[in-house]
Amino acid sequence: MNGHDVTNIEKILVCCGTCCLANNSMDIVTGLREKIQQAGLPLEVVPMVKATGCSGLCENGPIVRFLPDDLCYYKVKPGDVDEVFEKTVRNNQEIDRLMHREPEQRNRVRTREENSFYKKQLRIALRNTGEIDPFSIQDYMDRGGYSAAESALKMNPEEILAEIECSGLRGRGGAGFPTGRKWRQCAGIGRYPKYIICNGDEGDPGAFMDRCILEGDPHSVIEGMLIGSWAVGSNSGYLYIRNEYGLAVRTMEEAIRQAREKGFLGKNVFGTGYDFDLQIVKGGGAFVCGESTALMASIEGNTGEPRAKYIRSVEKGLWGQPTLLNNVETWANIPEIINRGGKWFSSIGTENSKGTKVFSLVGKVKNNGLVEVPMGITLRELIFEIGGGIIGERRFKAVQTGGPSGGCIPEGLLDMKVDFDSLEAADSMMGSGGMIVMDDRTCMVDTARYYLNFLSEESCGKCVPCREGLRRMLEVLDGISEGKGTEEDLDLLIWLGSMMQEAALCGLGKSAPNPVLSTIKYFREEYLAHIQAKRCPAGICKKLTTFRILGEKCTGCGLCKKNCGALAISGKPRLAHVIDEELCTRCGNCIDVCRFQAVEIG
Amino acid sequence: MKVIIDGLACEAESGEYLLQIAKRNHINIPTLCHEEALAGLATCRICIVEVMDAKRTEVEGDGQTERSEKRKIVTACVYPVVTEIEVITNSEKLRDMRKAILTLLMARAPESDAIGMLAKEYGVEHNHQWLTKDDEKCILCGLCVAACDKMGTGAIATINRGITRKVSTPFEEPAESCIGCCSCASVCPSGAIPFTDLHRKRTIWNKEFDLVSCSWCGEIIGTKEQLDYVGKRIDPSPDEHRIGLSADAHGNEMLCEHCRAVREASRLKWVRQKSLA
Ligand SMILES: Cc1cc2nc3c(=O)[nH]c(=O)nc-3n(C[C@H](O)[C@H](O)[C@H](O)COP(=O)(O)O)c2cc1C
Ligand code: SF4
Ligand code: SF4
Ligand code: FES
Repeated sequence: MNGHDVTNIEKILVCCGTCCLANNSMDIVTGLREKIQQAGLPLEVVPMVKATGCSGLCENGPIVRFLPDDLCYYKVKPGDVDEVFEKTVRNNQEIDRLMHREPEQRNRVRTREENSFYKKQLRIALRNTGEIDPFSIQDYMDRGGYSAAESALKMNPEEILAEIECSGLRGRGGAGFPTGRKWRQCAGIGRYPKYIICNGDEGDPGAFMDRCILEGDPHSVIEGMLIGSWAVGSNSGYLYIRNEYGLAVRTMEEAIRQAREKGFLGKNVFGTGYDFDLQIVKGGGAFVCGESTALMASIEGNTGEPRAKYIRSVEKGLWGQPTLLNNVETWANIPEIINRGGKWFSSIGTENSKGTKVFSLVGKVKNNGLVEVPMGITLRELIFEIGGGIIGERRFKAVQTGGPSGGCIPEGLLDMKVDFDSLEAADSMMGSGGMIVMDDRTCMVDTARYYLNFLSEESCGKCVPCREGLRRMLEVLDGISEGKGTEEDLDLLIWLGSMMQEAALCGLGKSAPNPVLSTIKYFREEYLAHIQAKRCPAGICKKLTTFRILGEKCTGCGLCKKNCGALAISGKPRLAHVIDEELCTRCGNCIDVCRFQAVEIG
Repeated sequence: MKVIIDGLACEAESGEYLLQIAKRNHINIPTLCHEEALAGLATCRICIVEVMDAKRTEVEGDGQTERSEKRKIVTACVYPVVTEIEVITNSEKLRDMRKAILTLLMARAPESDAIGMLAKEYGVEHNHQWLTKDDEKCILCGLCVAACDKMGTGAIATINRGITRKVSTPFEEPAESCIGCCSCASVCPSGAIPFTDLHRKRTIWNKEFDLVSCSWCGEIIGTKEQLDYVGKRIDPSPDEHRIGLSADAHGNEMLCEHCRAVREASRLKWVRQKSLA
């Protein structure tokens, strides 16, 4: 093997987030530990194996990192342990096979910094995930953890408020409300007790940034909440964590226990005479439970449904008391802002959106995973540089941002800077930072239908615009996808949708029309193709699709025939094949596998 | 505090709901899910109005005054007035939005008593393209559940999420805690909760109750369970000591409101005559 020599290894980091755990990363940890012990390597060079939280590039996990070189291996299997130990740990050799290959260039990349997935990233909220052992408070403290809380508790609450306001931080849970302003409103109310809540419900399918922080760096959230509690004058806080997040709950429980032990939580924190404690509440399980009033109802033991109210939670929230609610990622940013100053934070990002944002980049991009980037990065950079472009070199079609009730942004807007305001101006939203990339084999009518269907099941069903509106919009979309649509249907969808945006009771109903309205706006032709030509150009809506093999392009390789589950394709080797329309189930396998673009959508 | 509603200056107290203020000033805002005693549901959204800050900002140059043009859509039944605001209750835009809401409600429950009038007023026609359950009358306003909760019985609740939501007893079985008081049915704006009073029996929510009638005029007073329940709530002492509403065993006569009033009046008359004598 060629390759570079590896400096003597001091530390090995194995990613043990949920995705990697599912790929047996724990076996890699124990395997390596065993080997190292058996070999009885001299103590100074004993590599440390740590159960670190998520390092982001989930698609390629489990990821193993070697310090101090920061050499990274991807998709490591328990079966690789022997080789890794022999070659890399003992004999300072790289294993080419396990290194990352850049999608464009074919060369292997050695370290994280060289990997374009990480190059454009700037990690503030994710500063510790993947770097520390989430079960060790000492690890967190070694990286400066709890120093912010310690100094904050010596500050006047007013100074903290000023610092957060100066940072320009806006809530990362969806609405993007200025965090400093929210804190000041809550601090200004003289009714006690006050409550602090961390929103860790994260109900968007496909989003996992909050989980990653809760699992990988629980103390940053605790520390953020401690600082917030002092700033507004609260003595007790709740961590509302999605019930499915078992590992996050366990990690948090342990973190709270260790923080209490150190005297950072409980009575007389940091010896200041001030009391603050936290408790965990497991979420109700519905998407709508993440909405602030539904979440509070759920903590109070009621059904997790939004309440109609025009009085802010900072005034009247949990049990009618002043309450400060922030998202996991918002809280995780706080200690860093106190440590490095609001000014520093506000130097990152755009005019009205400061700092960084964690996105979960998924769908048809080559590099899937969590990315934290400065606000103002363009969609193109995100998708084509960090994401490495579209899988199979297909054409980019749209990116859906903001979770299930976000909008779909077309190719023409790829150079748009990503921040709260520009996403909203494009009929989408930041939401919690979901980013689903779609290629030309995606039908936008079908996409709108998919999200609406999700929302119609997840809406609480309390108010008329949302419940009945979603039901009828879904019916109309079903009709269009079956070839029963009319042009008036589009006006009807817009009419109902724009009413919902203003008349629905909570944020779910208000944002629910986004997937429909944005696709009608940017992909009207595709709707019209369904309606007028009764044809689904992407070949997804089954009733409006036929597949045909172009005789002049078909080489008769037979790959489509092999992949057709319905046995609808026939043809002799090296002769043009044909599809039997009667038998064809419109699954689209043939078009996806054909290497000669010989399958056409009719 | 002053609130301008449709150009009319109205006096208001801080924290008062917009709907109350409008009503007091004879300004009509349509409602479907609002009942004075069960306020705060805000599920129908038909009472939407436009709200804007009353303060005007000077526009430089041509000396014209212009509003800081940020109109908010809010539901009047739960919107508390805390600053001086200007309210519009019947703009083109609001009428169009209400029409959309009524179109949806009409499609859900074309037979509902509550929808018919409003639908006519807003020119809503039944969209025949949309599937409707013929016997559906419920508009899911939630008043019945709120009324039952207020009784303290909690025999019905909304079950399921999203578009499958409905009102039901627990597990759709006859509810243990139901006392057959018909509070739900009487508060329902849609006439959507069926019940029958036949042969001294009441049937509601698949449960049967004995009816108690007035000893004087024979008018139905309520179900036995209901009178027991109310009796217990008024006087929670053990059964044998309680002065009962249904306590025939104690020799009390069961009278309806009207007959009780008559009895009181005649008793008073008798007392007065005696004292005059
Ligand atoms: C339907 C719906 C779902 C939501 N889900 C979440 C969630 O899962 N996590 C979250 O932090 N905020 C969620 N939010 C936003 C919260 O209501 C709230 O704005 C946020 O937690 C406030 O914190 P922030 O200011 O730090 O963003 C949701 C909002 C709506 C309308
Ligand atoms: S908008 Fe939807 S989720 Fe929100 S209260 Fe209305 S029905 Fe429930
Ligand atoms: S049954 Fe009547 S009161 Fe109950 S939710 Fe339906 S319409 Fe409202
Ligand atoms: S009357 Fe139904 S929302 Fe106000």
